[in-house]
Amino acid sequence: MKKFDLELTVGIFMILGIVCLGYLSIKLGRMEIFTPEGYEVQAVFSNGGGIKSGSSVVIAGVQVGRVKAVTLDDYQARVIMQLPSNLKIQEDAIASIKTKGLIGEKYVEITPGGTEEVISPGGKIRDTQPAVDLEGLMSSYVFGKL
Amino acid sequence: MVKGVVTFTCLIVVLMGSTALAGAPTDAIKETTDKIIHIVTDPGLKGAEKSEKKARMIREAVDERFDWVEMTRRALARHWKDRTDEEKKTIIKLFSDLLEQTYLEKVEGYSGEKVLYEGEQVDGKYGVVSVKIVTRKDTEIPVKYRVKNEGDGWRVYDISITGVSLINNYRKQFNSIITRSSYEELVEKLKAKVGSR
Repeated sequence: MKKFDLELTVGIFMILGIVCLGYLSIKLGRMEIFTPEGYEVQAVFSNGGGIKSGSSVVIAGVQVGRVKAVTLDDYQARVIMQLPSNLKIQEDAIASIKTKGLIGEKYVEITPGGTEEVISPGGKIRDTQPAVDLEGLMSSYVFGKL
Repeated sequence: MVKGVVTFTCLIVVLMGSTALAGAPTDAIKETTDKIIHIVTDPGLKGAEKSEKKARMIREAVDERFDWVEMTRRALARHWKDRTDEEKKTIIKLFSDLLEQTYLEKVEGYSGEKVLYEGEQVDGKYGVVSVKIVTRKDTEIPVKYRVKNEGDGWRVYDISITGVSLINNYRKQFNSIITRSSYEELVEKLKAKVGSR
């Protein structure tokens, strides 16, 4: 009887450990097993600048969602974002790809618009601003000076 | 078949060079651009005494292509609906004056830059016209005109130069001024800026 209890306790601890590990890897890997709450919005950028799924979506410096997927569409970057359902994005909002600091990671910033029309789930932010290509800017400055 | 059509279109684009692709938004932009280039290169309008007439003609050409109401509405964003009709009228005038002043100087400095039309995308009443401006030093500046058609032709509501949106730039500045101080402060600032030139 006593031996059985010991084995049971060890077993429970093992299962607990595995569950914790699983939870941790899902959290750290930013994976989603359950469909997350909210809705999706797309935006097409001429230059994604290395944005990837899991990157933050920010309004006024506050993280409101995450990038769910990035795909290539007609040689442009199509970014699918997951936003909470209580957050309304106006039809004339502008999405831009920004860099944290000078060489930090990329994130999507949404500047809210002013119309009454709201983007429906699965809709598209029409006005976008691609990632600023520092190198390109520098080279055009340098070669423009010649 | 589709591939053939694509290749053919590409060929035409390459062969025609600066000639516009058949399509209403590009035609609209091209028409205005050509008109302005014609005005600034007109030898009959050279000289200081003609500069006022020249500026007025450019302004007329720009006015019929640019949707100032839409641009101001987008720049003010969520502060737009709090404005009275009178306030809206004032700020539209100030904002359009500011933009015209800022860009008139640039247009008047025109010295034979080439304008290449690189295609357009139309999605319902919205469209994007991609243009490349090639300077005499062969620097290429990509410009994107965002246009909207409300039934009275394609009119510009935003311009992106090397990927930086004009409306986004002003939207952020307007928002920060209004939230930091007040709408009146923004109007004062615009007035000072427009009047100082």
